[in-house]
Formats: sequence, C-alpha cells, structure tokens
Amino acid sequence: MARPLSLKEISKKEVLISSGHRMCAGCGAPTVIKMVLLASDYPIIAATATGCLEVSTCISDYTAWKIPWIHSAFENAAATISGVETMYRSLKKQGVISKEIKFVAFGGDGGTYDIGLQSLSGAVERGHDMLYICYDNQAYMNTGIQRSSATPRGADTTTMPAGSVVPGKTEPRKNLTRIMAAHDLPYAAQASPSHWMDLMKKVRKAFDIKGPKFMNILSPCNRGWRSRTDEAIMLSRLAVETCHWPLYEVEYGVTKITFKPKEKKPIVDFLKPQGRFKHLFKPENEWMIKKLQEDIDREWERLQKEASLSAP
Amino acid sequence: MKGNEAIAEAAVQAGCRFYAGYPITPQNEIPEYMSWRMPEVNGVFVQAESELAAINMVYGASAAGVRAMTSSSSPGISLKQETISYLAGAELPAVIVNIQRGGPGLGNISGSQADYFQAVKGGGHGDYKLLVYAPYNLQEMWNLTMLAFDKADEYRNPVMILGDGVIGQMVEPFYPKPYVRPELPVKDWVLDGCKNREPRVIKSLYMGEGELEMRNNILQKKYKVMKDKEVSFEGYYTEDSEIIIVAFGIAARIALSSVKRLRSEGFKVGLFRPITLFPFPEKELFMLARESRRFITIEMNAGQMVEDVRLSINGISEVLFYGRPGGTIITPAEVQEKILQLFNHQPYLA
Repeated sequence: MARPLSLKEISKKEVLISSGHRMCAGCGAPTVIKMVLLASDYPIIAATATGCLEVSTCISDYTAWKIPWIHSAFENAAATISGVETMYRSLKKQGVISKEIKFVAFGGDGGTYDIGLQSLSGAVERGHDMLYICYDNQAYMNTGIQRSSATPRGADTTTMPAGSVVPGKTEPRKNLTRIMAAHDLPYAAQASPSHWMDLMKKVRKAFDIKGPKFMNILSPCNRGWRSRTDEAIMLSRLAVETCHWPLYEVEYGVTKITFKPKEKKPIVDFLKPQGRFKHLFKPENEWMIKKLQEDIDREWERLQKEASLSAP
Repeated sequence: MKGNEAIAEAAVQAGCRFYAGYPITPQNEIPEYMSWRMPEVNGVFVQAESELAAINMVYGASAAGVRAMTSSSSPGISLKQETISYLAGAELPAVIVNIQRGGPGLGNISGSQADYFQAVKGGGHGDYKLLVYAPYNLQEMWNLTMLAFDKADEYRNPVMILGDGVIGQMVEPFYPKPYVRPELPVKDWVLDGCKNREPRVIKSLYMGEGELEMRNNILQKKYKVMKDKEVSFEGYYTEDSEIIIVAFGIAARIALSSVKRLRSEGFKVGLFRPITLFPFPEKELFMLARESRRFITIEMNAGQMVEDVRLSINGISEVLFYGRPGGTIITPAEVQEKILQLFNHQPYLA
C-alpha cells in the first residue's frame, strides 16, 4: 500500500493543473483536482465530462492541464476513459508501452449522478482500471444553478426555486457513493477538501488498487451555494462535521468510516452560511430543516451500523 | 421578456401542460420559466436526468393526450433524435424547441444556424419529416409556438421551433396576442384507459409483411399534405429585384437591415424569408427564378439551406452563398458588402 505523503514532499511536487484557469474565485473544484493530481506517484491521463471544470480549463487554444487530457461529451466521461484505458492495455500487451499509467475521469454531479450514470455503471461493470472522481457541487452550476439529483433537500435552484408554495428542492439527494459501492467494485470512497490528508490518502490507495474505483468529493460552489468566496473549505468542513457528507470508504465490500466528528454538529450549522437555504429559516419552513436533520441522522446511523458489521 | 421566455409563456397559453427539460445553454430560461409557471396552471414541469429522458417523457405525456413540449440546444437536440424519430413513427404530436448554438461537438454557446440539415432532413433514422418553423423575432417566437401546438395536433406530428441563441436571449417588445384555439380533430387515439371502449395501440413497430411500407406510405401522404398546405414565407421587395437574398431566422433579420439600406441607396435587392423550413417554399422560390436574376443565400453556417434553394431554383438563376459557421454572427455591413460586390460585377468570393 502507498505510504502517506508528507507535506514537505507534496510541496516539492509539480502541480499538474496550472493557475490561470477560468474557474470562479472561491470554487472548490480546482482545489479538489489539485489534491487528486498531487496525490499520484504515477503519470495520469484524465478525461473530463462537460461542466464547469471542463469549460474553464480548456478556453480557446489553451489548456490548464499539464497531463494528457480528453473531453468528449456530457454523459460519457467514464466511457471515454474506458476507451483510452482499453487501448492502453492492448498496447501494453503488445509491448508498445511499458510505462505504468493511471487513468482518471472527472465529472461534476450532473455528469455523474444524472446523465453520466449509465456510462459510469457500464465502465465499472466492465472492470476498467480507472478512478472516477465526481466533484460534487450539488447542482448544475455551469448552466446556471439548476437542480440535480445531488442537490440537497431544501436548496433553492433555478428549476426548483424556493417560493411561497415550494420551499426549494423537495426530494432528498441521491446517495451515489452507496450506488457505486453496490457495484461491488474494489474501492468506493467519499472525501472532502477540508480533510485533505484523508482525501489524498484515499486517492493514493485507489491508485494502488487494480480495477474500477470511484470517489465522490464534495466541492463547494459559492455561486450556487450563495456563500462567500472564502468559505469553500469551511463549508466542506461543516458538511463533514454535521455528517451531511460523511467521510468513509468501501474497500472490497468492507466499509470504514475514515473520520468521525468528535461532536456531530446540527445541520443548521451547515445551512446557515448558505444563501440557497436562507428560506428554510422562515418559521413556515422549519419542518424542512427537521426533515433534513432526520435524513442525516438516519443515514449516519445506517452508515455506522454498516461499518460496525465489517469491523474486524 | 427574453425570446426563450416568450416561447415558454406562449406554450403555456396555448395549453401546453407538460414540459420536460434538461439544462443546456443558451435555452435555460425555458426550463427555468416552466419550473414556476407550470404549477400555476396545474401543468407539469419535470427536470429530467438527461435529454433522452426528457424527450421520452414527452412521448409518454403526448400518448396520454396532453400538449407536451421539450426544449434544448444543439448538442441536446442531437441526443433527442432517437425519440424524435419514434414520435414521428408513432404519429405523436409534440413541440420540440431547438435554440441553436455553434457546433459541431460541444462547439460554443453563441447563436448559430448549423442544425438546419438536422431539423429538415431527418436528424433521426427513417423516412420522416418534422414541421419546422424558423422565427426571426420575438413576435414570431410567440405566434409560431402557439401555431406549433395546433399543427402538431392537426397532423399528429412532432413540430420543431428552430430558433437560435441570439433570438433566444434577445429582449424586444412584441404583442402577446391571446391564444385562439382553432377547430382541431378529436384526439380519438389517446391512451386514457380503455374501459367501455376498444383498446387503442400507439406504436412505431411494424414487423408484418408489407406493414411498414404501408405505414411509411401513409406518413409520406401526410407530409405531402403539409407541403401543399403549410408552406409559409415572406418576401420583401422581391418583385423587381435583380438580386434576392434568401435567409431564415436571425440571418434573415440581419439581411433585412442590409436590404433596406441598399434599397434606400437605389439598389434593386430583395429578401425571401422561408418561415417554414419543412415544408420548404420550393414553388414560391421557383416562381421568382429568372435568368436575369441572382440569388444569394445567407446563413449562419457553412452552407445548408443553400442546397434546398438550388434545388428549388433548378438551375434557372445563379445561386450564391455567404455564411459564417461556428456561432459567428454576420453583420449587416458584411451582407451589404457582398451584395455590392455582385452589383459592381466584381468576381464573387464567398
């Protein structure tokens, strides 16, 4: 297993995504991508689904990626990387390539939870040696903050606007990490940029495992979350500490919670700084917060139970 | 009100009660508008998980007898093609809005007209036709959307509004005339429960000997009726023109500015603007063809409608082309310059 990287070592590594990309100030995604790329000891080839990250890292003739990078469409980052990885394996078998290369696909929540789920599921079932990373900012931010199946209950979006009748999104978010774990793939994990050691450790572990791997990484978006530009890390930390975004991994069917908050904070702490949940604090919408808390409590209970089942 | 919102509101007023969409720029105002507007009229708004899901929801809603619509922009419309073919095959009415952007591939998000072929030549598989409307201002966005629902029901056929990013995003005054429902055939094919009546079947699968050919012949007969009855166009100063510009949608609007300017300077130039792209105003263009007259097709693409113009003119007049692909907007000055080249008998360079 890969040994953990020290901060000193990380500081000496080349950052493989350059500054000057066009992601918004305060966006969580570039930080996440940077951490993923820094964590690798291997050369990486990446595919990216259509989305903020793809659009803003390949403006005009320029690219922010210092690695081979491919984009095809919105719904098929996993299929695209499948093609690249399969050809690599064939060339390796033929003796044309000998280098050990790792394959990563990046997709937002729209391109992963929704339109890209079919191609992701297909790629995982076929068993490609790849790591799929979903940077989850909880809505279609690139097209103007429309709801996605990753959007939490109660959030205000442009296609599920909070008004006098509907208090934002009425449905709970899809638990994609569980769906992916249900593929019985070698490795599925959830991470957050606030806990960067945990995140990078998971990436390093994933790279050392053969076969399909999936990581769901929370990526705050100040435009869509209606928060300040300096709050991305704080909000992702609150997401973890409120257990809205538990940090865990499922390795060959064994579930392990990798970070247990000393004191589970109430979900209100996560909701309060975000404008997209502002309307929930009106007296008539309080039931929604209660519901959100119940959702979280139930899932946290379940997850702990699941982890205890596979505890040694 | 933006062009996209004009389409959405016109649809609601025309009785559209089912809308399924998916985010893509530059048409996001349509789903966003529908998301709050539909509940107000007891209609349904669904944000699907993909374009494929959205168009198939429309298939289902239409079979249930509801006026249904979906919208997208070029890459999303490509994804919808399979079910558009199914809608045509099953003869289900639906309105599909394409707010075109630059292509191919992911392209860009500025207005374009490069989906002409996709819209009028099929797009999906099989011998089918959509009724295709090309609005060139917000008034037409409004009017044609309403008409699209009527025509979809009249012919039991999907109808496409072929707009573009420019008019989709544009704001201008228009008269939102109230919807008047014309007399339409009774929907005696709707799947609404067969208690106390014979069960009905809606399908596009015909495996029996000769069945599918027969179905196709019926469809072709329908398209022929559309060709006879539904052609719509506008001509500006075409009577005495030495040069006639042929353009649709936003390109026609740009060209019209140039035509007016050139006319005021004494140049005999006119504009012919197809409003329906299928059926294409073939006969009407042919009637304008003279040996002494030249045609120039102006499009925001690399040359698509020009093929239909040439087919219509049938070699009688010279048909030239000027266009800019990739979501680049042509300016009236550019058009003027091209036309002046022709009047000055300079060699034409496209």
